[in-house]
Amino acid sequence: MSFLQPLISGTLTGGVYALAGIGMSLVFGVMNISNFAHGDLMMLGMYLAFFAFTLLHIDPYISLVLIIPISFLFGYMMERIFINKVIHHPHQNQILLTIGLGLIMSNTALLAFTSDPKILTTTYSSSAFTLLGDVSVSVPLLLSFLITCAITAILYLFLSKTSTGMALRATSQNREAAQLMGINVAKMSAIAFGIGTALAATAGALIAPTYYIHPLAGHSFLLKAFTICVLGGLGSVVGAGVGGIIIGVVEAMSSTYLSSDWKDVIVFVIFLAVLLLRPQGLFGKKGGQ
Amino acid sequence: MKQIAFLAVLAAVAVALPLVIGENPYIIGILISVLMMAALSSAWNILGGYAGQYSFGHAAYFGAGAYTTLILLTLYNLNPLFCIAVGIVVASIIALITGSIVFRLRGHYFGLASIAVAEVVLLSVLNFNFTGGAQGILLTDVALWDLDLNSKTPFYYGMLLVLVVTLSITAYLRRSKTGYYLQAIREDQDAAASLGINISFYKNKALLISAALTSVLGSLYGLYIRFIDTSAVLDLRLSIEIILTAIIGGVGTLWGPVIGALLLVPLAEMLRSNLLGDVLIKAGLVSETSGVGLFLKGSLANAHVLVYGIITVLCILYLPKGILGLFRRNK
Repeated sequence: MSFLQPLISGTLTGGVYALAGIGMSLVFGVMNISNFAHGDLMMLGMYLAFFAFTLLHIDPYISLVLIIPISFLFGYMMERIFINKVIHHPHQNQILLTIGLGLIMSNTALLAFTSDPKILTTTYSSSAFTLLGDVSVSVPLLLSFLITCAITAILYLFLSKTSTGMALRATSQNREAAQLMGINVAKMSAIAFGIGTALAATAGALIAPTYYIHPLAGHSFLLKAFTICVLGGLGSVVGAGVGGIIIGVVEAMSSTYLSSDWKDVIVFVIFLAVLLLRPQGLFGKKGGQ
Repeated sequence: MKQIAFLAVLAAVAVALPLVIGENPYIIGILISVLMMAALSSAWNILGGYAGQYSFGHAAYFGAGAYTTLILLTLYNLNPLFCIAVGIVVASIIALITGSIVFRLRGHYFGLASIAVAEVVLLSVLNFNFTGGAQGILLTDVALWDLDLNSKTPFYYGMLLVLVVTLSITAYLRRSKTGYYLQAIREDQDAAASLGINISFYKNKALLISAALTSVLGSLYGLYIRFIDTSAVLDLRLSIEIILTAIIGGVGTLWGPVIGALLLVPLAEMLRSNLLGDVLIKAGLVSETSGVGLFLKGSLANAHVLVYGIITVLCILYLPKGILGLFRRNK
């Protein structure tokens, strides 16, 4: 088999992972909180896309127009009601709170939607075209990747050009100093959490046409998102983007050359190796721990 | 003096309880679960409560004990006590590897890395052949001295013994040099280091003690249930239940984990056996055939994890120091 095949399909899947990772990294950077509900927010995005498709007959990629604002508001409210209460608590309390919120979301989904996995089948779900002779490229994955690139570009422009974006980055660099400069850091936290949630839900919606939709699907994505963030450097948005692609490619390579059973183990071994050798990640500040 | 008398009464009640309630296997089963969760949570508390290192991967040590014991028993039929000892060794090795990777880091990283280690253990067990993979391991027969291991009573006393040992170690530790060092590390790691405390040595010590006790409990659980698979003994959910039990009772207190287990385990059991739904229906509040009644009967049994989630959120927001924290003066 061609070496290019896992490289290309891994990059395409990695793009969606990157989106989830960027959302988590942004929340971490601005709020200094590890969001353990991130995977479950992705799961909500999957179900939103599924119901938009089955009930409203909206194509999953078009439904992003609805999913992004809905999930932004959801995340914004979640921060305002719960997360900001623990922003000055020790890390472990923040982690436990988000774990609790994640359990509530996944188990409510389990009660409401049952544990039967749902499949979102579009007309192009299994279509693919061939590139360079023998490399097959899946159409939904390619579409997801392109949308991911577009969203990342918009986010980049937002963070670097708008005043809200700059305020977010200032809060991320130094919360106290940002507050002294007159930035409303509490509002920035809510906005960051809203964007993080919207990115997670978008990643979920993008992956929905090629994946089983299940209430507990968030679990494996959560751990992947963490690996991506740590690999790129916790809090680094660029790092999360690169980390996502790396993890996607590593997964595809290990499925091709080893076995698909072991691909998750390899991802976690990379995670631990990064912690051991370069805990600040590829793009993290040194000494940031 | 008062304290000793209280402890003596408590011990007498605990020892006599199976004799009083006789051989009711249902009640004994719940009591065993309470004792096990109390001991697990106390063992976690040595590392999480006193050293301040929240491990989110204690299921790895529980699973290491359970799997080692059951694999050795089914393959070689060795003495169960020897198998438990080997389980301790395996759990300690995993703990040492974890500790050497993660104790150089702090803050978010320790929690994340402890989950990653547990996940590597879980996935490895799933993918290897000798661990039974996704099918798990079934233990058909086991014998130790002339104990009747088909009844639940030996396991009641086994769990009670481990709980007493764990609490004794905790009580001893917190008044010992190691205990003071651990609490110093919890309060301010940099200050502790500047006073010459070997931080990583003492963190590893706490982790090893905690992991060894957890693995014994895993072994006992395996021998008691006689069937294990990854979702029962290695799942992240178990690690979270252990922490939650300590949080509700009071992290970093001797009796907090026990109180947490006394509250949470019967609650989970009530939800699992759908006691709440039955009570509401019997009281005539909800008709059995109505939509609500059907929902209560059909789905609420699966809702105990949801309830755990709600309790976690409420506890962190309103009771972060646990029930025992309510009675202690604000420091």
